[in-house]
Amino acid sequence: MAVTKEILALAVEMGDALLRNGAEVYRVEDTVMHILKAYEIENYDVYVLSNGIFASANEDRDDACSMIRHVPLGTTHLGRIAALNQLSREICSHDCSLIDAWTRLDECKSIPFGKQSIHVFFCGLGCGCFSYLFGGMPLDAVISFFVGMLLQLFLFGLKRHKNSKFITNILGSALVTLLSLVVLSLGAPILYDKVIIGSIMPLVPGIALTTSIRDFFNGDYLSGAIHMIDAILTAFCIAVGVGAVITIYRFVMGGALLA
Amino acid sequence: MILQFIISMFATLSFAVLFAAPKSELVFCGLTGAIGWLVYLIGMNFDFGTALANLTATFALTVISRIIAAVRKNPVTIYLITGIFPLVPGAGIYYTSYYFIMNDMNEFSHYGMQTIKVAGAIVLGIIFGFALPQSWFNALHRRGR
Repeated sequence: MAVTKEILALAVEMGDALLRNGAEVYRVEDTVMHILKAYEIENYDVYVLSNGIFASANEDRDDACSMIRHVPLGTTHLGRIAALNQLSREICSHDCSLIDAWTRLDECKSIPFGKQSIHVFFCGLGCGCFSYLFGGMPLDAVISFFVGMLLQLFLFGLKRHKNSKFITNILGSALVTLLSLVVLSLGAPILYDKVIIGSIMPLVPGIALTTSIRDFFNGDYLSGAIHMIDAILTAFCIAVGVGAVITIYRFVMGGALLA
Repeated sequence: MILQFIISMFATLSFAVLFAAPKSELVFCGLTGAIGWLVYLIGMNFDFGTALANLTATFALTVISRIIAAVRKNPVTIYLITGIFPLVPGAGIYYTSYYFIMNDMNEFSHYGMQTIKVAGAIVLGIIFGFALPQSWFNALHRRGR
């Protein structure tokens, strides 16, 4: 009797973990269904939104059960998605018993993010490279490298205070703009706009945009709309952060136009 | 051109690290991003215009990600999300807000429209890329489920 519940709990927990780490709705729905099918539950319904899961199994029998999950939009962790995907493959080919699956699932969920120092370095490297790609000089790339590292340190600092995403994006882009204007004012011959463009790349909503398109493509219009709004608001916040600092800078420098 | 290829590869690779992609896939993430950027550059060289260049680049990127995903038996998301970063209109967002604040409405509407066009082109590119039937890619991994 309790087996249905156990299986459904596993399937939903797995969907929860996938969604939390940034998988698209279609993949989550597909995974939950495949797991239910693999454990021989015939009669089920699954509905997934980008921030919630609704699932029921064996509705017309005595051991009917259903589950609802609320899943807040979280940070993307591609490693966990890959691991969970692998696990669901094994479950589907019946290589994995129910109890094993739970321990494996816990392992997948606790794959850590890399060390902070590594993140800081790679954030800087990415920013530097992008600054060069978008037409900056090598010097701009070097400045961008350091600005990017500071940005990532700043983001780690903000994370501890549980700020809203809006504030994080506004402050982050403001910091980037401020730093590159300071470097400019110190007399370094940089193209400050290339430095800013390179360094705001970690904030730019590339993931939200991509996920949103894929949701739309699979016919999940509601989830697509949620991610699309997320992307547009993030872009807007970046614009506000950059804009505010440039306005203040102009004001302080007595309206002197930036190159 | 080769320098651009290498640098865009490193740029994508570093962002893949930020999103905690599995270590074994990092190089492939970098590769998809670099190929997308290369196609974009070639498009720009042939005077495609920004929108069309972005569209072809995203299309190429999506197809490549799907191929790699099929061969490596991993979700497409991993390669697509990281690979898309060089093409996302970060510069467009910046210039749009910059000219808005400078009160230069001509440039503002120019960059604003361009940003929207690029975003739309990326959307179409991904959609076309996914419109190719999955069976073509399944041939690449017979041992899959």
